[in-house]
Amino acid sequence: MASLTPQVTTQVSPGTAPRRGGRPRRPRVWRGVVLVLAAVYFLVPLIASFVFTVKVPDGGFSLDAYGQIFAAEGFGTSLLLSLGLGIATIVLVLLLTLPAAVAVRLGAPRLRPVLEVVCTLPLVVPPITFVAGISMVLRWGPDYLASTPFYQTIISLQNPDFPVVLVLAYVVLALPFVYRSLDAGLGAIDVRTLSEAARNLGASWPHVLLRVIIPNMRSAMASASFLTLALVLGEFTIARLLSFQTFPVWIYTISGSQAQVSVAVSVFSLLITWLLLLALSSAGARQRSGS
Amino acid sequence: MPLLAFVVIVFGVPMLVLLGGTFTKEGTFSTANLTESLQGAYLTALIGSVKISALVAVLGGVLGTILAQAVVTSRFRALREAVLTASGVLANFGGVPLAFAWIATLGNSGVVTTTLGLGEHGWSLYNFWGLTLVYLYFSIPLQVLTVVPALDGLRPQWREAAQNNGASTWQFWRYVGVPVLTPALLGGVVLLFGGAFAAYATAQAMVGSTVPLVTLKIADALSGNVLIGHENVALALSLDMIVIAGLVMAVYLPLQRRSARWLR
Amino acid sequence: MNGARVEFRGLRRRFGSTVALDGLDLTVEPGELLALLGPSGCGKTTALRCLAGFEQPDEGEILVDGADITRVPANRRDAGMVFQSYSLFPNLNARDNVGFGLRVRKVPAAKRHARAQELLELVGLPSVGDRYPHQLSGGQQQRVALARALALEPRVLLLDEPLSALDAKVRVTLREEIRRLQLSLGITTIFVTHDQEEALSMADRVAVLRAGRLEQVADPATLYDRPATPFVAEFVGAMNHLPGVLSGDRVTVLGQTLPVEGQPPASAEADVLVRPEAVLVTPDAEGGGIVMVSSFRGSTTRLRIRLGDGTEVLADVPGHDSARFAPGTAVRVGLVERPVLVSARTETGATPAVPEPDVV
Repeated sequence: MASLTPQVTTQVSPGTAPRRGGRPRRPRVWRGVVLVLAAVYFLVPLIASFVFTVKVPDGGFSLDAYGQIFAAEGFGTSLLLSLGLGIATIVLVLLLTLPAAVAVRLGAPRLRPVLEVVCTLPLVVPPITFVAGISMVLRWGPDYLASTPFYQTIISLQNPDFPVVLVLAYVVLALPFVYRSLDAGLGAIDVRTLSEAARNLGASWPHVLLRVIIPNMRSAMASASFLTLALVLGEFTIARLLSFQTFPVWIYTISGSQAQVSVAVSVFSLLITWLLLLALSSAGARQRSGS
Repeated sequence: MPLLAFVVIVFGVPMLVLLGGTFTKEGTFSTANLTESLQGAYLTALIGSVKISALVAVLGGVLGTILAQAVVTSRFRALREAVLTASGVLANFGGVPLAFAWIATLGNSGVVTTTLGLGEHGWSLYNFWGLTLVYLYFSIPLQVLTVVPALDGLRPQWREAAQNNGASTWQFWRYVGVPVLTPALLGGVVLLFGGAFAAYATAQAMVGSTVPLVTLKIADALSGNVLIGHENVALALSLDMIVIAGLVMAVYLPLQRRSARWLR
Repeated sequence: MNGARVEFRGLRRRFGSTVALDGLDLTVEPGELLALLGPSGCGKTTALRCLAGFEQPDEGEILVDGADITRVPANRRDAGMVFQSYSLFPNLNARDNVGFGLRVRKVPAAKRHARAQELLELVGLPSVGDRYPHQLSGGQQQRVALARALALEPRVLLLDEPLSALDAKVRVTLREEIRRLQLSLGITTIFVTHDQEEALSMADRVAVLRAGRLEQVADPATLYDRPATPFVAEFVGAMNHLPGVLSGDRVTVLGQTLPVEGQPPASAEADVLVRPEAVLVTPDAEGGGIVMVSSFRGSTTRLRIRLGDGTEVLADVPGHDSARFAPGTAVRVGLVERPVLVSARTETGATPAVPEPDVV
């Protein structure tokens, strides 16, 4: 039978001819040296920490230090406190940042530079100076506000069982990372077209936000949450100077009496952080390949 | 927007109080705190912080770039992925656990110290150089993360176009490669400076107060380890820090913008 | 500047298991514009890059004016190149980009700037000298890249799909301009493209490559009217494959008997290759054909016609006739009386380069 061919024929070959690598390869000794040195520098402390925790004075091997972690006084409460702070911070920072990031993309692009500056400021200000300011406010507040309802607020902010003031501070610290991650996520999905399409189909604004934008932002929100959690779980400066027993502060406190346990906890908390970050990066990779 | 209101209250108020406190001494306006924060032990601490941050930034910048170049030019995709993931993790590895990991390694009774008998040769981790070594542990990965996209952004066409115009490899790097990479490299160095400058947890857990650092001084002052009437010096020191960090960031942002434009 | 003669002799290059060049022999005459045309992966870019010195052939040699330059490093070759896109140095403005080669040769700044300005004027951009690449449009960037390639007065100009990243309109203007410049400078030019229209409209001669081998090299008219192989016939322009029966040097197709062009295949059953514009269509209720699809293209209208036996034929009719050939119209189909190209029936099925979605 006869066949007809379209005007422009294109060949779909199993991969176009690679273009690079024409010249004979020079031996790249320097690269090997660099990589080996880097591996030594980065791996030795990790291995050594582990060895340190399982070493027994007479030269044996024991995982006792890890067992002692759970028995140590304050472990449970401080870890729970840090996790609780982390979750509260995530909820608050997302509630604040997501609407702002969407609004800047859709309604008020002029406010974008303002938001960017606001979200960069916490990077410029070292946490220790931030905590210096906070502690002054907390110290002076009661004197000036003793007769007003704010007094009660200031006191309750510092409730040692659940210090709201830490949540507020952590939200500020997390802001730059969360905003960037959300902004990148919004950039990837073309919010404008999506929301216009949804509006065109009769959706209300809250509906657009809840049913269209948030589902598409799931991975960006997840990565923002993970980063925030990692930040809160590791934050030491503010918690210590405001004298709250969060997890990192607790590790520091026990180091004086039980060196091996404190290193064991460090290794342990490292593993947790790493698993979080690895989960995050592989989730990100899945998202990329999926879209 | 609620976000702006939130930042103004939670972030702005402490900053205002900080500013106010700095210029108040015994209830009246005064620059005495600021002057004091730039004298004696405080000045030493400030200089110490700047010195170690600059050293970490430069060393970390150079070493991180070399590592990044080694990874980028490698043919093995898996190696590249592994190094980038590890960098992402290590760059976030700061604070107390980092200090303890190094103490367990190279501290006085650390595994490597005792195994190699470094103690007898006068080795100590708890000084300026030890701290630098530890800071580099999160700085180098951070530099790798900043520089790899820039190295990837160097298009092969540029090298070929340069060759085609008669340039040697050296001339390519001098007229095109290095100028194109400079903003990204400097941007990374600035970030490292900021990170090392603001670091407190690692230093506190590792060296206590044997190395003079401004963050440690501020913490000391806030915990009440100062003479009566000098509490506000901590605030003045904080202001000094913010000014330095602000200057550094002011360098970073334009660099970053330019780099993004060139390497898009 | 005057053009050089460029010869490719038995060029071979393989990347792993892919053979990019499989014994390419090709001569480019001084001052001519030769287009290297072919589907992606056919080796045309590799050939160009071998000439520029960015690739080393595994075998064979490249001669410029009789001198073997195969082992000369890329930065000492006398060939200016324009890349597909984004090849301008982002840290230099247009003037310094154009003057880059002169700077490398340590030409004093004043002279360099004057020369760069001259070249920018030549490519029609007299006032962009101070702008940086990111401030230029895609078309302007390619013009600056062209000026840069010409700055060292090379005797060979290499163009690696320089227009493929541009808008259709800019593409047409720029290709006319490149041709005008090339003719006025008399520089030997090799132009790599996968766009047959570009190749046919610009080149003195077109070389069609397939799987690293030369299929045909000829001037555009010859290539179109007398394709040497079925591959060329199908790659350049549209082509009908109609069943025909051979007898001696004539072939019977659609009830007409036409002379055969070139060497006829051995078997009696064969495919006859006919261009759409060589198909004559007249409205005729008894004609046996029905217009299935009609697509208006301005000056012409392309019809897809189904014949009584199920064969489909593409035909081009003048655009103003499109109203007479609405879909559903019954038509009679005939062929222009002139020699036709014939290929063995089996061969078309085995041609990997041509997707055949319309086999009935």
